[in-house]
Amino acid sequence: MRLSVAAAISHGRVYRRFGLSPRSRLDLLRNLVTALVRHERIETPWARADEMRGYAERLIDYAKRGDKDERAMRMADFWLTEKDLIHKLFKVLAPRFQPHPGSYTRLLQIPNRDGLDRAKMAVIELKGNPLPPLVRPRRDSEKTLLNQLLKGYRQDAQRAAAP
Amino acid sequence: VLMVVGSPLPRLRTLLQRCWGRMERGLWPGVLGGQSPPWGPALAVQGPALVPQGINDAGESSVEVPSLLGSIVWMAAPKQRRTIEVNRCRRRHPSKLIEIKRNIDVCPECGNLKQKHVLCGYCYAKVKEETRLVRVEIHKKEGGPFNAPTVETVVLYEGEQPTEKDEGKRIIERARKRPSWFVQN
Repeated sequence: MRLSVAAAISHGRVYRRFGLSPRSRLDLLRNLVTALVRHERIETPWARADEMRGYAERLIDYAKRGDKDERAMRMADFWLTEKDLIHKLFKVLAPRFQPHPGSYTRLLQIPNRDGLDRAKMAVIELKGNPLPPLVRPRRDSEKTLLNQLLKGYRQDAQRAAAP
Repeated sequence: VLMVVGSPLPRLRTLLQRCWGRMERGLWPGVLGGQSPPWGPALAVQGPALVPQGINDAGESSVEVPSLLGSIVWMAAPKQRRTIEVNRCRRRHPSKLIEIKRNIDVCPECGNLKQKHVLCGYCYAKVKEETRLVRVEIHKKEGGPFNAPTVETVVLYEGEQPTEKDEGKRIIERARKRPSWFVQN
């Protein structure tokens, strides 16, 4: 029975490694969460956005408890380095997301960064933000071949059913 | 006889070199266990029994093992030139070729190519530019850093009035016609 962990095996580890140390990783993610709450849409490497998403959504869950809650206020105080955003979190974002049970953020991949590293980039935004929309919801068009064939089939069935 | 010597002490090295020299010249036949040269009777020989020192020194100077970095090490090297057929087999193996992407589509909005799971680059650049201009207006309205408002925000374009849904929201005005892809809620 293996009692010690061998080096370079990371089965089941969920947290990615960022920065210089675990504390540095938290600071990095904290900066990203602050930026997201301030600007409501940020563009960052995909791994960082994915990691940050969980923390941001849990912060909003804490904010939904209300600002009288001691733990919620301590969480917001730690995670938002710019203290005017604490007001925005409790007064704007918490009411905005009150009807939703979860998934307050949208993560979309964008083309790789233009620099030398060609990093996989993503844009993460809070739902319901006032900025121009990234993706338009497409309705399926009547004019596609499949829809035209299905329409014809439906009409034939109706004609056959109604003599 | 393969000899691998690391970096021994200088005295040991000279001793080994002398032994090697002697072996090569057949003056130390007992080592390899091969044929020993015919020795004459020691008593009848008038000359010296031992090899004189002069020959030794002369032999040593001619047998200079060129040692790189003071050590003798055998390194791996290819024995034969790889033919172009073998090279082609290795270079063109499927595992070394670039994979074909089959997830490229046409963006229905602008007609540029995009990957299926990635946003269209052109459309995203368009949206990014518009958000930048909206943020410029926001910055002008806020006036300085750390002035995040405690109310929601709504963006209105030229000739638009706030509806009853926009009660109590901060209004950001953009001095242009509303773009077709930014639908007002």
